[in-house]
Amino acid sequence: MPLIALLALVVALAIADPGFLTQRSLTAVARTAAPLIVLAAAATLIVLCGGIDLSIAAVASLSTVLLALWLPHLGGLATPAVILAAASIGAVQGVAHVLLRIPSFIVTLGGMSILSAIALVVSGAGTVRVVDDSTVKWLELYVGGYVPMSFVMALVVVALIALMLKLTPLRSWISATGYSESAARLAGTPVDLVKIGAFVVSGAGAGFAAIMLVSRQFSGGPTMADNLLLPAVAAIVVGGTAITGGHGSVWRSLAGALVVTLLRVGLPIVGVPSAYEQILYGVVIVIAVTLTLDWSKVSIIK
Amino acid sequence: MFAVLSPRFRSIENVQNMVDAAAVLAVVTCGITFVLLMGSIDLSAAGVMGASALTVSLLVANNRNDNDLGLLGIGVAVLLGCAFGCLSGLALVLLKVPSFMATLGVSAVGLGVATLMFAGVQPNISDAMLKGWAIERFLGLSYLTWIAATCVLVGWLLQRYTRLGRYAFAIGGAEEVLALSGVRVKPYKVAVFAVAGAFYGLAGVMVTSQLGAGLVQAGSGYDFSAITAAVVGGTLLTGGRGGVLHSAVGVLLVVVLTNGLVQIGVSPYWQGGVEGLIVVAAVAAAVIPQRRRNQVVK
Repeated sequence: MPLIALLALVVALAIADPGFLTQRSLTAVARTAAPLIVLAAAATLIVLCGGIDLSIAAVASLSTVLLALWLPHLGGLATPAVILAAASIGAVQGVAHVLLRIPSFIVTLGGMSILSAIALVVSGAGTVRVVDDSTVKWLELYVGGYVPMSFVMALVVVALIALMLKLTPLRSWISATGYSESAARLAGTPVDLVKIGAFVVSGAGAGFAAIMLVSRQFSGGPTMADNLLLPAVAAIVVGGTAITGGHGSVWRSLAGALVVTLLRVGLPIVGVPSAYEQILYGVVIVIAVTLTLDWSKVSIIK
Repeated sequence: MFAVLSPRFRSIENVQNMVDAAAVLAVVTCGITFVLLMGSIDLSAAGVMGASALTVSLLVANNRNDNDLGLLGIGVAVLLGCAFGCLSGLALVLLKVPSFMATLGVSAVGLGVATLMFAGVQPNISDAMLKGWAIERFLGLSYLTWIAATCVLVGWLLQRYTRLGRYAFAIGGAEEVLALSGVRVKPYKVAVFAVAGAFYGLAGVMVTSQLGAGLVQAGSGYDFSAITAAVVGGTLLTGGRGGVLHSAVGVLLVVVLTNGLVQIGVSPYWQGGVEGLIVVAAVAAAVIPQRRRNQVVK
């Protein structure tokens, strides 16, 4: 389904604007899509477990600030340090979710608020400029002259997550947790560890997306990634991962992220003002969630 | 405690400021309380308030067009909020989208509508009555505070004496039982979201009155502050417990806390962080008695 939507969008855009299928505009689309792909793919694991992570954008924003602040001191080590920091933020939220038994959307909603506050205080509520960007500039290179490095890295991240799921029992553990948590627990699945792991991956993904943003914008800002939350959630559900958990995959989120990016890029091409973008996200999220719901599970919806 | 730490906190002026600052939050919290009572959640306040702020600022006397509808414009803005609430409710009961997703979507739609109406030029209001709401005082408190107090009263009456209010409690307590005993739950759910939307609409109007202009970001942060206030007041996120008066106390607590922190010299940027911690801690504290092995938490 998402692939068909993707193809249909590409064809529609190519018809609406013959200049769309040129190498330059496709490269631009790939560059725009890269951070979104990483965010959406990493957060997909949590959705597969039946939860949601609303803090990804806030983690990414905070990570851009941290990266910009650490680059002068740590140099090349700043990149892994930021990913590590973001992953541990994810771990803290995962532990809070599992140990305190708070629903994931409340933990991450609270986390979003706390992390935004930290980002504001750490950055002094302003943009932190990166003077020497030599250690993150490699993301702005082009593979073979055309394909942006950030896009390639995004694909690598998706492939790594998919491979990790494929080669270990993780995939079945995550699905079991998502389909029926109590059954999985009784069957001996380490449900709590799986959930915490999903949060760690989600956090690390947000950190990596932040590095892409900094390499493109030469700065970090406390609200820089905040507008990526809705597109990322939209990408996950448009890809066809069910919000009720269990059903879906990271590849679907990759397709979803491309669909969302094309919609965003395509609106101005067909002559719709970009203010409609927000409305579109809202409508797309609601429709996509409805279409992918596991209706057998939903006797009572809160 | 803050009164001991900071002499400025004790001043009458500061108490007046705090009560005035609480006005908008109180109205938003009133609305969100009904949704929380049902065990659902509402993240749409920011978007709905933005849309209603722009609507009212374009309908009363302003610098963008020749409209001068006065009270009628305010009514339209409140109705718009009500319509957005209906949308959330319908998405919940007809499309079975979980409320946090549905309201997140509706919030985005509201912000988009607000951006369209904003159209790059800030509408400054010149309507004397609406501007006066924030400035003129009656018995030492601004009109906005009195409006908020009225809202709390209306909310309490709704909750206490109407079927809507009592069913909201019942839906939060045991929706299955209510449905099995022959109550048609769905219309009431939509109605609760619509009432909440109307409160957000009014809150958007009040922010416009405070700022003297319609801004897309009029409601930013209020959604989370309102959840914090409701939870602090003792309204459970699992539904069925709490109420409008609880939430009103919660609003005062949150405002006193944030104001007090600023007065003793904590950076205002921490406000969101403190609220986040409070929500997580309060929810965790409420869940502890109900902890059981093999209980599913999504």
